This record gives sequence, structure tokens and C-alpha cells, in this order.
Amino acid sequence: MPATMPPEPIEHRRLDCGVELAVMAMPERPVVAMMIRLLAGYAFEQPEHLGVAHVLEESLSKGTARRNGRELNDAFDAIGATHSSYAGRETVGFLCTCLPEFTAQALALHAEMIRTPSFPEDACRTGVELTRQALAALEDDPGELVRKLLHRHAYGPPLDRHLFGEKQTLDGIDRSSVVAHHERLFAADRMHVAVAGAVDPSRIAEQIDRAFEGFAPPPDAARQTPGAQAGTDGRWPLQFLSGLWHYDKQLEQQHIAICFPCSAVTDEDFPVEQVLVAVLSGGMSSRLFTEVREKLGLVYWVGAWADHPRAGGMLHLGASTTPQRADQTYATLLREVDRVSEDLTADELDRAITGLVTAIQTRGDVARARATRMADDMFYHGRPIATAEKIARIRAVTTEDIARYLQRHRRDRLGVVTLGPRRLDTEGVDPERGQ
Amino acid sequence: MLETSFVQHRLANGLDVVIEQMAQVPSVACGFLVKTGSRDEPAAQAGAAHFLEHMCFKGTDRRSWQQIGIELDAVGAQYNAYTSKDRTFYYGWVRPENVEKQIDMLADMMRPTLPADQFDLEKNVVLEEIAMAGDDLTSVAYDALYEHLCPNHPMAWPVLGYANTIEAMTRRDMADFIAHHYVPRAMTLIVAGRIDPDRILDTAQRWCGSWPKSDAAVQRTPPAISGGHAVRTFARFHQQAVLLAFPATPAGRPDEEAAEAVAAILGGANSRFYWNIVQKGLSRRAGVFYEGYADFGVLVMFALCEGDNADRALAAMRTEAEMFAAHGPQPHELQRVKNLRRTGLAAESEAPYYRLGQLADDLAYRGRPRTPAERLANVDAVTADRIADYLGRFPITGAGLLVGVGPREDLIDKAS
Repeated sequence: MPATMPPEPIEHRRLDCGVELAVMAMPERPVVAMMIRLLAGYAFEQPEHLGVAHVLEESLSKGTARRNGRELNDAFDAIGATHSSYAGRETVGFLCTCLPEFTAQALALHAEMIRTPSFPEDACRTGVELTRQALAALEDDPGELVRKLLHRHAYGPPLDRHLFGEKQTLDGIDRSSVVAHHERLFAADRMHVAVAGAVDPSRIAEQIDRAFEGFAPPPDAARQTPGAQAGTDGRWPLQFLSGLWHYDKQLEQQHIAICFPCSAVTDEDFPVEQVLVAVLSGGMSSRLFTEVREKLGLVYWVGAWADHPRAGGMLHLGASTTPQRADQTYATLLREVDRVSEDLTADELDRAITGLVTAIQTRGDVARARATRMADDMFYHGRPIATAEKIARIRAVTTEDIARYLQRHRRDRLGVVTLGPRRLDTEGVDPERGQ
Repeated sequence: MLETSFVQHRLANGLDVVIEQMAQVPSVACGFLVKTGSRDEPAAQAGAAHFLEHMCFKGTDRRSWQQIGIELDAVGAQYNAYTSKDRTFYYGWVRPENVEKQIDMLADMMRPTLPADQFDLEKNVVLEEIAMAGDDLTSVAYDALYEHLCPNHPMAWPVLGYANTIEAMTRRDMADFIAHHYVPRAMTLIVAGRIDPDRILDTAQRWCGSWPKSDAAVQRTPPAISGGHAVRTFARFHQQAVLLAFPATPAGRPDEEAAEAVAAILGGANSRFYWNIVQKGLSRRAGVFYEGYADFGVLVMFALCEGDNADRALAAMRTEAEMFAAHGPQPHELQRVKNLRRTGLAAESEAPYYRLGQLADDLAYRGRPRTPAERLANVDAVTADRIADYLGRFPITGAGLLVGVGPREDLIDKAS
């Protein structure tokens, strides 16, 4: 990769229909990838219908005004388009990869599905039932369960919710609640579309503009979600509640989940945080892998990562270990965060930066990753950010920046959840003091 | 489909080097395929191949474990390794200017010194991995499947081994395993991406050329595939895993794509299982997968469901298999498999790491790489008649092997 990267051919604009679009033409690529996101995730659910975003996402592909569910899915298959969808905290998203010659058809099928879903009664009932089963199945997924419990305790509403809702709220979801969520939140002016690959930017812009022209909620659909208000810019504020919570469960391992507030993606310190997370958990020479796993043999899995709602951020540490090693694992996790601000070396910093940059240039280079990254940028920043700019900001991070960051985001108050056969030795665990 | 071309070379000691030039991509992936896995272990050393994979990161004559991690990270490699029942694979994905350094490091790791202190410490890590797998229903169910499918055969035990075999393992045991299995003729260096083949061959010769030649050959015997009905009861799991397995064609045979098509049509995306089992609310995850090895294969139907739904999910799986066997695929179902593969192959040609995985499959089971065009032609050659012929030889009806794992003490099966 040359030292000075050529400018990327990214076109970004809000179309007349209201959709915010970013396109990167990569004519030499053999595919086109398209990411469509709507601000309609589970943070926007009505409190009495928690879980409806997931039910909606399950039901959306089960029929449109023109086709039943099988016909719709067969139409995607007929052009060989691989497509998937998800319901997330703040967005519902659709990711599609297809051969370039089928781009217009793939877009048209997504528009049909997003604009005119029929939400058949039986599909909605099945969606509720499958969501109820998924919620119950969390009992068999301790890694996901402990994260759900940490969010519930340490994040303020509505970001404390889980994708699968609550048993009692699922009981109250039917087709009408799914339709209401769709009518209230699915609209062109709540959409980000990112396209990367062998595509003509002008042509795809025209096609998208036409496909979503007039896509707006019915006049009587209320946009506001009672109970929890997004800011004026549509961003939910992230609150933090510290504390230590233990859930007893018969497991081979004890799961430990820790969090404390960190910067937002839009904060100027975000690249510092990216490097910090890489220092802690980037590769085999990272702090947590080296100290917790390789030197002490306490765990197989250990990690650090940042979780970013649109506004705010939370730094997470996690590990699973056999119960007798849990106290030492917990203490070591926190000690390593502290130690970064004391003795981070220039070589460590360089490795973390190199790892982040290379990831962008290798797995981050494929069309699907490019589309996802542009959609992320529009979600957080309101514009796609050139890869060269991202890399330059990462490369500019210094050891002093990391120390300053940890001063600014002290881990003196923690949210901690443990799940497994025994409690941590609370003698040495005070989340208010972070000891 | 982007154009690719191969360069193949065998070093004097028997190590194969396979290079795929992908001039259009801005990166390179490389890896060492070692044609050994848990099926090559003595029973008392179950888990040795996987434990050794960990130990390859723990020290060599030229590097300590810290240096290995530091140097891999210093070039920004996206790297890892995995062990399966019949192979171990070490790989990294880097920028083109770092590929020679990456090959140097991976080659060095293929000659681990098994430092005593690291050996003992890493046992704890592997034991934690075994404990973690013990909390994972899908992992427990997968291991139970092979235990009953291949009784009294090395395929029966988990890739991770057992806590007692890991605890009892010695450095001598592992050194013997290396001597028998990490020999040049059982290994292949695979490189894909934007590369100069001559430089890759020079690098391979430099770092691997001195490895001693060995004529030791791995002796493998195919397992006798077992049927029957086995239920493992775990009250602590909420869900019930139901698995139904049938013998299938070995990997690399001409009818492998027919087996893949059966799996995709019955249990892939937009499949019969999806519409008739998942969308009936019987199971939140149900599907079919095919696993092929050099000397046998298995087609596995599965469902993860609530305990109360297990019998109905099982009955629905059997019904779908019977319907498919009786009437074959619909034309649009067969076309779907081909269309999706075409897109998948195009997407793969953007990313050297994805190509690396496919090349490893080809080299392990076919002994040669296939271009994307050849792979696509193999898929396109699958017809309804070929599937019928395949199912005549590898039926998916009848009792098969039924394995249940979860809270249920038994399953009601119409086939029994």
C-alpha cells in the first residue's frame, strides 16, 4: 500500500427521496455489496412491545404486496443474491452481495420487502414464537447471557434492552404491533444505503431514488417512542450505572463481564480508544492475551472491546474461566487496564496501530466490508470517511494520548456481572472503587 | 469471475508449495496445511494434535513465545490456526510486502521446541477450552454425534481431547507426534494473493528446505459408520439438540457436489427445513450439513429446539428427507444452489484468505487445487438424475444414527 493513498471514489448525498446514500465505485471488483440500514432498532420499540424489532425482522421476508415469502426468497435466489438481515439496538439492517449485472434487481427486491411487507398473520405468530425460543435459548449461551445481563444493569434505558425482549412483552406482540413498528419507523428519511463494488454511482443513485420515492410513514403514525426520548439528533443518551451483580448458574466456567464508559465514535479521541483496545486485545502480543492467558494460563478466551451506541460508548472486558480461577482473572483484567497507562511501550503502540491498519487493508478491503464501513460512518458521523483519513488518525496516536485517554476515562466505577457457580471474592471487588 | 493461475512446486524434502496468483487483490494470505488431526492420535493422547497447535505458538529454536506473538503482530497479520479431525492449518493474511516475513514465522512455528514451562502452562489453557466447550450445547452435541457414529475409532473422540488425556500428556508424547506427522511430505505451504511466485519459492526453500525428509506415512483406516439411537441427558441445557446422520460420499469424489446440493436444498438458506421446520415454529435452528473426509463422509440433519418440540422436529426432519428422496429436487432448487455458488465464488476471489480455505480443502482431498471456474463447473454438472443416483448409493431415509442431547431422557422416533 503506497504511503499516500489515492483518493477513494466515494459519492455521498441525500437523495430527493430522503435516503442518505454513499457509493464507492470499484469497477475492477467482481461483485456489488449493498448495506441498507433503517433507524428502527430495538431502542425505538414501545416499552410494552420489547422484542418487536426482532419479530419484524423475522417476518419482513415472509411476504410482500406482490409475492409470498417463498416467492420473494426464490426471487433473490434466482439472481444468486446472498442476502441477510438483522435487528440491532438502533438499526435494522440488510446486507446483500450480488453479481454486478443483478444490482438493480437486488435493489428492487429489497425495496419491495422494506416498503410493502404484508406481514402475514402466521409469519408474525411464528416470529414471536421463534423470538420466545431464542430468548429462552440464551440459557444455553452463557457468553451472550452475561452480556445481556450487563447491559440490563449498567446501561440506562432504552439502551439496556435486549434484542429478544422480555417474555411478558413478547406475549403482547401480534401482527398489529409489528405493523405499527414498521409504519412508525420505516421511512426513506431514516435510511442509510451504502453500495460498494462494480457499480455506476449515478445509475444506482437514480435507482434508489426511484425505489424509495414517497416512502414515508402514514400521517397518523406517531414517530416518538413514549417513555424514553432520543435527543434532538435522534441519538439515545447512554447512561451508566455501576455495581456488581452475580447470577448463579450451573456451568463449567465462570463468565466475567466488566464495563465502564469510554468515548463516543464521534469523539476526537476515538482513534485513541481504537488503539487502546488493540493494545489490550488486538493480537497474541496484546496485554490481556499475554498476561491472562499466556503467562498465567487462566483462560482460553479473554477480550476487550468497545460498544458504541450512536451517542456514547462503553469499554468492555470479558473472560470465562473455571470458578477457582475467577478472582485472579478478574483482578488481572483490571490490573492490565491500569498498567497500560503506566508502562506502554512504543513498540506495543506500533504493533497495535499496524494491526488496525492492516485489518482495514486486508479483510476490510472486500466490497462487503467497504459497504458496511460506509454505512457505519453515515450512522455515526453523518458522512463516509475516507480510509486514508481513518488510517492517518490511527497512525497519529501516541503513548501520551493513551495515558491521557485513560485519565479522562478512568475505570474508577465499574459495571460487573458474573455468571456461573460462584461469586467473586467481594473482599477485593468494589465496583465503586474499581479495585 | 476474476482470473487466477497456479504455480506448484515440490521441494526436495517433499514439501509441496502451491501458489495462486491473484494480481487484482491488494493483499496476500498464506498458510501451512498439515495433513494430521485428532484421528491420527493414539487413544491415550486424545487431543494431542490440537494441543500441539497451541504449542506451535509457544517457542522455537529461533523465537520465544513472546517473540512469536510480537513478530506476528508487528507485521499486522490477521492470523490464527485451527485443528480438525484430519488436518491442522496455520495461516496469516498480510499486505504483500510482509508475506515473506509471514512465511518465515509460520515455517518457524512448524518446528516447535515445546518449552517445558510453556507446555505445563498451556495445558491449563486447553483445559479451559475443554470446559468452555462443555458449556456449549452445539459443541457437546457434535462430539456426541461422532462418538456414536464412529465407535472404537479415533474419529470418535473430540478434537480437543479429554481433560484426563490432556493432563496426562507429556512433552515426549508430543515430540513423537511431531516426528510422525509434521513431516514435509504431509505438509503444504499455500499462498494466495498478489505475489511474485519466484520470491515465494525462494522463501519456502530458505525456511523449509532444510527440514529433513521423512518417508513415514500416516496409516489411516476408515471408520465403520454406526447407526442406532443414542440420547445424552443434560438437565442444565434448556434446548434439545436432535441430530440425524447418514453415511455420505467421501470428500473429493465426483459426487461430492451432489452431497453438498442435497444438504443445501434440504437444509440451507431458503430450504425445505427452513420453511417446513423453522417457519413452523418447531425449531429456531434447523439445517443439514455435509462433512466429507478422505475415506468417508456423513450427512447430518439437525435441529435445536425446545424439549417439547423435539419429537415433532425429528418427525419433520424424517418427512422432509423422505419427500426429497422420493421426488428429488425442484428445478429452481437446483438452480439456486448454482446461482449462490457463482456469487460466492466471485466474492471469494476478492479475498485471498477465503481462497486459502478452499485451496486447503482441494489439496487435502483432491491433491490439487481447482480454479474457481473448475469448481463452478463441478457444481453446474449436478443434475436431478445425479442426485437420484447419489441418493441410491447414499440414502437419507431409514434409521440412520439418531443422537439427542439436552434435557430429554428419550426421543420418540417413528423410525424405531
